[in-house]
Amino acid sequence: MKNEMAHRHGPDQDDPRIRAAQEARLSKAWETHGGWRYWSSVNNSEVGIWYIVTAFGFMLFAGVLGLLIRTQLAVPDNEFLSAETYNQVFTLHGTAMMFLFAVPIFEAVAILILPALLGTRDLPFPRLSAFGYWCFLIGGIFVCGSIFFNAAPSGGWFMYPPLTTKQGGIGADIWLLGLSFIEVASIAAAVELIVGVLKCRPPGMHINLTPLYGWYVLIVGGMILFAFPPLIAGDFLFEMERAFDWPFFDPERGGDPLLWQHLFWIFGHPEVYIIFLPSIALLAMIVPTFAGRPIAGYSWIVLSALGTGFLSFGLWVHHMFATGLPSISLGFFSAASEAVAIPTGIQIFVFIATLMLGKVVRSVPMLFALGALAIFVAGGLTGVMVAVAPFDFQAHDSYFIVAHLHYTLFGGMLFPLVAGIYYYYPLMTGYMMSRRLGVWAFWLMFAGFNICFLPMHLTGMLGMPRRVFTYPEDLGWNTLNLVSTIGAFVFAAGFLVFVFDALRPKSHAEKASRNPWKAGTVEWALELPPRSWGARTIPHIESRYPAWDDHSFMRRYDEGRFYLPDAEEGRREALVTSVLDAQPVQCMRVAGPTWITLATALCLAGVFIFATYHWWTATFISGLLTLCSIVYWLWTGTGEHPEKDEKAIGMGMTAQLYISGPRATGWWAMFITMTGDLTAFLGLIFGYFFFWTVHDQFPPPDIDGPGWTWPLAAGLLLCGSWVLTYGARLWNARGDMLLFRMALLAAVLLALAGIGALVMGPLAHRMDPTAHAYPAIVWALVLWTGAHAAAGVIMQLYCLAASFAGRLTPKYDTDIWNVALYWHFMAFTVFATTLVIGGFPLVS
Amino acid sequence: MTNHLQKEVKRETGEGTDLWRVILAPTIWAVHFLVCYVGAAIYCEKAGRMADLLPVRLIVGTATFIALAGLAAVFISLWKVRGLSSVNDDYNYAGNTPEERHRFLSHVALMLCVLSGVAILYAAFPALVLEVCR
Repeated sequence: MKNEMAHRHGPDQDDPRIRAAQEARLSKAWETHGGWRYWSSVNNSEVGIWYIVTAFGFMLFAGVLGLLIRTQLAVPDNEFLSAETYNQVFTLHGTAMMFLFAVPIFEAVAILILPALLGTRDLPFPRLSAFGYWCFLIGGIFVCGSIFFNAAPSGGWFMYPPLTTKQGGIGADIWLLGLSFIEVASIAAAVELIVGVLKCRPPGMHINLTPLYGWYVLIVGGMILFAFPPLIAGDFLFEMERAFDWPFFDPERGGDPLLWQHLFWIFGHPEVYIIFLPSIALLAMIVPTFAGRPIAGYSWIVLSALGTGFLSFGLWVHHMFATGLPSISLGFFSAASEAVAIPTGIQIFVFIATLMLGKVVRSVPMLFALGALAIFVAGGLTGVMVAVAPFDFQAHDSYFIVAHLHYTLFGGMLFPLVAGIYYYYPLMTGYMMSRRLGVWAFWLMFAGFNICFLPMHLTGMLGMPRRVFTYPEDLGWNTLNLVSTIGAFVFAAGFLVFVFDALRPKSHAEKASRNPWKAGTVEWALELPPRSWGARTIPHIESRYPAWDDHSFMRRYDEGRFYLPDAEEGRREALVTSVLDAQPVQCMRVAGPTWITLATALCLAGVFIFATYHWWTATFISGLLTLCSIVYWLWTGTGEHPEKDEKAIGMGMTAQLYISGPRATGWWAMFITMTGDLTAFLGLIFGYFFFWTVHDQFPPPDIDGPGWTWPLAAGLLLCGSWVLTYGARLWNARGDMLLFRMALLAAVLLALAGIGALVMGPLAHRMDPTAHAYPAIVWALVLWTGAHAAAGVIMQLYCLAASFAGRLTPKYDTDIWNVALYWHFMAFTVFATTLVIGGFPLVS
Repeated sequence: MTNHLQKEVKRETGEGTDLWRVILAPTIWAVHFLVCYVGAAIYCEKAGRMADLLPVRLIVGTATFIALAGLAAVFISLWKVRGLSSVNDDYNYAGNTPEERHRFLSHVALMLCVLSGVAILYAAFPALVLEVCR
């Protein structure tokens, strides 16, 4: 970033002909292909729409399953569904609503609107978003489709063993592998969104001026990194048990089913907040607009969102209150469950205060926002009740819990989301949704929801357990259940009105005028109907509500008087800025349409789907194809050498076209991905010490361990590889190419030897992973670390090849920066693994 | 206004409170929580369900003391840099300067100290009332 060009005159933005030429070039650069090539799009405006439509599609599917549940329960002794079908239906209802709707819809909405909220044209890794979308679509169809073959998972949405480890069929495998595949999409989205908020804010948007939605996305992205990986670790252990009989959860061979419950709920409880926070974030954008004033207490929202994000990780055992843990453990989690009500409440009070201080305009989004607050407060209060362990003992596994969780999810997620769709619909389509239909949809949904779920509190209090497919008629549950069923159908009618309004042909619909809600935030500066390039120019931000605070803002925006009003080289471009103060550091060339994202997703789908059926050869071939397509993707799509070092970006400034290291987005993406990966690894380490805690003697005295010599050798060799990789980065930067290449080659050899030594530990001591949980967890750690080291070797070889091909040079050194960062994390993984498997048996 | 300008001059605005410092207080809560929970879980599993909780209560007490002392240190360091908004003299921090960003993050971090303190006291409470592992 240099200011010496400040004297240089930019293009004359007063001249309409020049502006028209700029718009033509932007149009060409950001053009969306027609015909079948449309599906190779990667731009957020296309991928975001696909994502939202797909997530709502799965939601409707899961909603139909919900209606089937309610139909079955409408009357006692009903024979509408068999017990087995009912099990599949309620399992898939919960699974699809959580994993295929609630979490992905956050990613979908964020990918769609975040660039607009940040005044930019696209997120830093559009291809990653597209890849995540295809993973989500394929995985979702695989999981949902299973019910049509009577093969759906039937063990409840949290898959508790031993029921699910002993179950025959492939239902549980579909759940485990299908959802692991979809979690790839979640982590990809987390990477994209965190980097987007931290590094792609428009110049001048200091972190205290960031739209609240951006704050929430940042926090939720961080939560995903710590919440999803334990589930991935759990899925890994679970599938090893189902496929290869490694007894992690089998008490007869030293395992423990509670380990799964821990790993699942370390994911499962933060996940509730992962879906709640981004939806409430939409309210934080909607409420100020219709109150006609800035949010009252911006910093309070930030602090409470951060506080909720942290505290939500101290709640998971409240799902396990009835498992017989010591009461002191229950006490800690009960306390944290009460504490989390404080920051959650602050957010609600901030919204109420904003509404009270402003002059509220009646609108459909506000109707849904207020309905959301009412429902969520009710769900929050029952939440405080069930956080009290003695009360939970009574209500556990009853319909009271079903009522509670639906109140929090509808109030905390669905209603705010629908409010957000009504609010942002004009921005995305250029049309308004019908006010009349909106009011109808709201009252049907609000009334239907309460008619369905309010009686369930009572049904639960009267003793009706969850997950029963029918009940006898003399227990006093008949009327309540019938009322609930009627409510469910009323709700469904309301939801269909909403879906009809969103999808109906718009030839007669009202066209949206620009900034139809008179909002103050920057996304409403977009032209309507939306143009393919998104932002006309990347604005310079001076306040939280530029459209309210600066009356010349819209005019200057339309005249392209801020940054990047042109695409001189015909390339898609965005600005990378610094984390805290958003000073421009790079003009980033953003990737365009490609088929490689779809191809990679298909190959990866092969890995997961073939593994479900235990077709190992096909799985292995798919894995190889995935690797090849990822390498092809990286080789052809990243690390491009720009034609010049820097370019003028408007407002008299210039920015570099190529940067590497911690200022670059790629480095951050690697850092974030590896943080998530590290969390999954810590989940496995947790498993090891969990076994140590529950066993009198662990490692068991009659089973041989891996010894300490092989793990020590593995540790030294792999750490040597790490040091050499780090050295290679420094030597490359100094321009010492020979030393750089020698170091990388030596690093590869050391790593390969290290992997060998790592495997030799348990192999030489004949540790049988099917005999007991101890050898199984040692093998799991060895497999994990070995596979990561192998990935590290591929990266080292990639850098070596890039160096010989002239792609990796002292000036263009992104690849080695990122690989060195990978190996920093690798070093920790190696250190922890070898210390635990080799060292811990010596001291325990 | 002159008062604020002087403050800006005194402080290096390029650095100041960053995002890591903001999450310091909740991180202290997280460590405290884990120490208490893991300590109690291991002790009760190894010592049996009828064991006296005294060692756990001592662990929780010590951890709580250390955590609160840590929070106090963070709180005091933030108290020194606190300040109202440099544009409007309020807690809204809507100005567009690095100094304002710095004050905003300090304010958020300070409030997170309070929240974390409350959550830590909540978590310590069970150790006050329970006497055996049961």
